[in-house]
Amino acid sequence: MSLNGKIALVTGARGGIGRAIVARFLREGATVYAADLTPEGSLDKHEDDGSHFVKLDVTLESDAIAAMNQLRDTHGKLDVLVNAAGIEIEKTVEETTLEEWNRSFAVNSTGTFLASKYALPLMREAAKSGSSASLINFGSYDGFIADPGLAAYCATKGAVHALTRAMACDHGPEGIRVNAICPGYIDTPMLQSFFNGEGSGGGGGNIETLQKAVRDVHPMRTYGTPTDIANLVNWLASDEARYASGQLWVLDGGLSAQVQQMRF
Amino acid sequence: MRLAGKRAFVTGGRQGIGRGIVEAFQKEGAEVTTCGRGMRPDGLAETVTWYELDVSDPEAVNEIARAAGGTDILVNNAGVQVEKTVAESTDADWDLVIGVNARGVFNCCRAFIPLMPEGASIINIGSISGNVADPSMALYNASKAFVHGLTRSIAVDHGPGLRCNAICPGWIETGMLDAGFDLAQDPARARLDALTRHPVRRFGTPADIASIAVWLASDDAAFATGQLFTIDGGMTAASPLNPGLF
Repeated sequence: MSLNGKIALVTGARGGIGRAIVARFLREGATVYAADLTPEGSLDKHEDDGSHFVKLDVTLESDAIAAMNQLRDTHGKLDVLVNAAGIEIEKTVEETTLEEWNRSFAVNSTGTFLASKYALPLMREAAKSGSSASLINFGSYDGFIADPGLAAYCATKGAVHALTRAMACDHGPEGIRVNAICPGYIDTPMLQSFFNGEGSGGGGGNIETLQKAVRDVHPMRTYGTPTDIANLVNWLASDEARYASGQLWVLDGGLSAQVQQMRF
Repeated sequence: MRLAGKRAFVTGGRQGIGRGIVEAFQKEGAEVTTCGRGMRPDGLAETVTWYELDVSDPEAVNEIARAAGGTDILVNNAGVQVEKTVAESTDADWDLVIGVNARGVFNCCRAFIPLMPEGASIINIGSISGNVADPSMALYNASKAFVHGLTRSIAVDHGPGLRCNAICPGWIETGMLDAGFDLAQDPARARLDALTRHPVRRFGTPADIASIAVWLASDDAAFATGQLFTIDGGMTAASPLNPGLF
């Protein structure tokens, strides 16, 4: 039970990765606030898991303020914030409309900014207990190297990476650690959507075939699962990670350790 | 007990980070073997197996790997540093630093990989100095960059049955850190300046490194491979040009 007594809020908590994080946090003894647009998030349904649902559109300043006020009134502190809310537009720069570009940044980058901005005072309170508070952003391996047809997404994740380092620098002296996890290919609704997109290199081909090809290019010969990501989120949230800050944690089954692979 | 039933081989377990990893692995239920140059150190738990070993000697490493009969977890931690620039470094310095830090990691990986079971994990101790240079540490910096490159190669060549990652510690409170400050004209001031450059406002401890080693060794890290994980209290996330220190 590495998170006993900790108060955690997860955005995008009812999405693919978010649900795994919430489940792990609950198992580790945390009090968990699951923030999302709807109780179902990006999946079809949701069954009660013991987390507290908070309706939160991360692009709205008023929603971020309301969520953090609720935590202040109930607990007076926040030990762990996970900014997992994110969207992906499967397009090149030319194809991307200004509205889509702005929407991508509003959710992935501004959303991370807003939730962090209003969580920081509560995290400073948590740090007064003597163990550091932990803020965990979601970058992506796409913030380092690009996938085809994901221009705006790649750019938003690059912004999250830089913001992560900046916040670590500014708020470390206040007892707040800031890290980002950079997932590779994780089996989620977002990955399925990427495979369905024209720009993914599938060439209208069979999705199953493409999935096999993607799997085979990973040294671990598999996609990641939301649980793989939750395992690292849990470690970063725990006091075991008390010296980990300002880092971008790539978790991709070895994908980006290798140079481009010849396919034939 | 996240490492119950696993066997671990940790090089350089006499002191500092290696000793911290040995103790943390033990606490998590692993059966731990460690080694170093010279006699068994004082205070090492009786249940830990100790071998006298110079990792730069390939024959000696092969012999120990055979004697140990493989391992589930290999931690290549043994390392030395010589505080010199390229122009100052002697052939003996090269043989020592590259022999232990680079060839030693190669020797151990080559000897143990064929003896490691499915699901095994290699953890190399790289360094932030393999990514950004510490002044007057030329051979050390280069040896750690070698470790980073070898880590990726092992992950790519020996997956999916084997995972391989490196931990890149920043400034950890060990004898090696003090040796670094001794190079300064005013070691006390240098120490304070260095602390101010850490967002978490302290140096690391061997336990800080051991905690990520436990995670990488455990099945929690099943999808983590080929990566360099920096644990430095945020130091390298900040620009070295820090106007607050002018």
